[in-house]
Amino acid sequence: MTTKVSINRLATGVPGLDEVLGGGLPEFSFNLIAGQPGCGKTTLAHQIMFALATPERPAIYFTVLGEPPLKMLRYQQQFDYFDAEAINHSVRFISLSEDALAGDLERVLQRIVAEVTEHNPALVFVDSFRSVVFASDTGASPHNSLQMFVQQLGMLMTSWQATTFLLGEYFNETDANPVFTVADGLIWLRQSVQRNSMVRKVEIMKMRGQATLPGLHTFRISSAGIRVFAPTSTVPATTSAALATRALMGVPMLDDMLGGGLPRGYSLLVAGPSGSGKTILAASFLAEGARNGETGVIAAFEQHPNRVRNPVLAALVAAGKVGLIDNHEPDLSIDEVVMLILAEVQRLQATRVVLDSLSGFELALAPTFRADFRESLLGLVSALARSGVTVLMTSELEDRYTDLRFSPYGAAFLTDAIIVQRYIELESRLLRVMAVVKVRASAHSDALRLYSINDNGIQIGALLPNQEGLLGGRPTRSRRNDSNGDGAP
Amino acid sequence: MESPEVRRWPAPLAGRLPPEAGPEQVAALVATLWLQIDQALHPIIGHRGVAALYHRGVTLSAADHPWLLVGHPGLLPVIDPAALRATLVQRTADEAAAGGSALFQTFLALLTSLVGPSLTDRLLLPVWAHPSAVSPAQDSSS
Repeated sequence: MTTKVSINRLATGVPGLDEVLGGGLPEFSFNLIAGQPGCGKTTLAHQIMFALATPERPAIYFTVLGEPPLKMLRYQQQFDYFDAEAINHSVRFISLSEDALAGDLERVLQRIVAEVTEHNPALVFVDSFRSVVFASDTGASPHNSLQMFVQQLGMLMTSWQATTFLLGEYFNETDANPVFTVADGLIWLRQSVQRNSMVRKVEIMKMRGQATLPGLHTFRISSAGIRVFAPTSTVPATTSAALATRALMGVPMLDDMLGGGLPRGYSLLVAGPSGSGKTILAASFLAEGARNGETGVIAAFEQHPNRVRNPVLAALVAAGKVGLIDNHEPDLSIDEVVMLILAEVQRLQATRVVLDSLSGFELALAPTFRADFRESLLGLVSALARSGVTVLMTSELEDRYTDLRFSPYGAAFLTDAIIVQRYIELESRLLRVMAVVKVRASAHSDALRLYSINDNGIQIGALLPNQEGLLGGRPTRSRRNDSNGDGAP
Repeated sequence: MESPEVRRWPAPLAGRLPPEAGPEQVAALVATLWLQIDQALHPIIGHRGVAALYHRGVTLSAADHPWLLVGHPGLLPVIDPAALRATLVQRTADEAAAGGSALFQTFLALLTSLVGPSLTDRLLLPVWAHPSAVSPAQDSSS
């Protein structure tokens, strides 16, 4: 029998936050929610309060100075989580502004004690605790007053078995503020502004008793409230189909070149220059899935939002066989894209996912995320792999005939399979060639084949056995004049 | 000859006053209701918050009932129902009821414009839910 105390963890009701917190909020913890004005402190507190408060577990929200309660109620009720029926029932708002204006911190504390004693809340919010201290007329330094106030409040609330949240602003986290020592949890909200994009981020700087996910995590505030985009590493692994089963590409000879199609659960990179047919191949991949009763998801980052120009794709989307994600929010993060894709995969029970294209994807992200694009891409591919879907990503490849590369992002090593498409000049014509560069742990063709694109999609053609130097763009007649390609199916 | 009409008091006084109530009864009821409104709202928005809304309400209602400003002390840290009562008893019962009711309606409209009808109803539920708490005391003259 264990003698350790068992800490109950409360589900915050904020999507993604519990994962970042490491499983929820410890009951009876004493937490600070800090950040600049406008970063979402009050919204986060209200969302947590309305999610957790019940008649058996009531909440008190103390407003001190700053945002007048009337305005707070006016704006907060715009959010979906706000429940007017809960007011004066499971949720009670109490203004301490007059006590605070009197400038007596002891009086503020005594008022809190009196209200807590009378209403017996399990959840207590003080918004904002910093203004409590500024209102003090004790003459003591704000630091000392703040620490004394927080220390006493923390002791009181913990003894009262109340989970407590103090909201405060303007703190500089590099400042060794003693209040941070008192708190069990420190939730820091930030706003990162770059060019014309503003990205909101949350960091759990401290949460006693549990391992949180370190670092900054993006979040968005919508009419539904706050949604935190937990890192892609939190996506649970699902059992993918056995590698023996293959996802066909819908281009018969290409499936042969791949060794019988793409192994299920693999990620495939299709790299090629503009106009080489990458999106057509992606559409064929999804159409082949739909033919076999599978559903798919395409994250399209084209220049024309809300419009899929490929007719095959448009028909699949219209038929509900493919879910379309074409988010063009200026503060888009990779974690949000992963969340959107996985939500759509779950909704449609999809087995195939297309990202078209990585170049457009990078441009669609908020500027602040572009510096870490390669790392984020690894996270994206890993998360999709864990979810068990088979992924096709396209990558715009500038034709460089002296430099054989598959992705400008060094993404080639991230993927399980690679198909490269190139233009070549032959007999005064611009032709296209395609090759399977890699299929991890699987035999595949090493043939470089001509292909064309017509109304029926991609048509794989012949080898060019008498030519060499194809990838240089200007092949010459082979001196060996072999008649067969090596290893070509 | 027409039978005399039974006097109908305007909301929210209706049902809380006997038809024959005089200005004293009207003024007492109005003052009691304002005390209850303050009790319901001040824990949430503070005495000053209630007083600010009340002051705005008096100012707006005075457009149709200018006498409401007589004796109104202006913006105070807390509302003063006694001052309003003293003003009302100077009017006829009908005038006091019309002015007092207009002030309630204006105040309600103000609060509703700020926090919406649902939350306004919720916040003032204790005031409207217990008419019996105020009406019996007003019946003494009947």
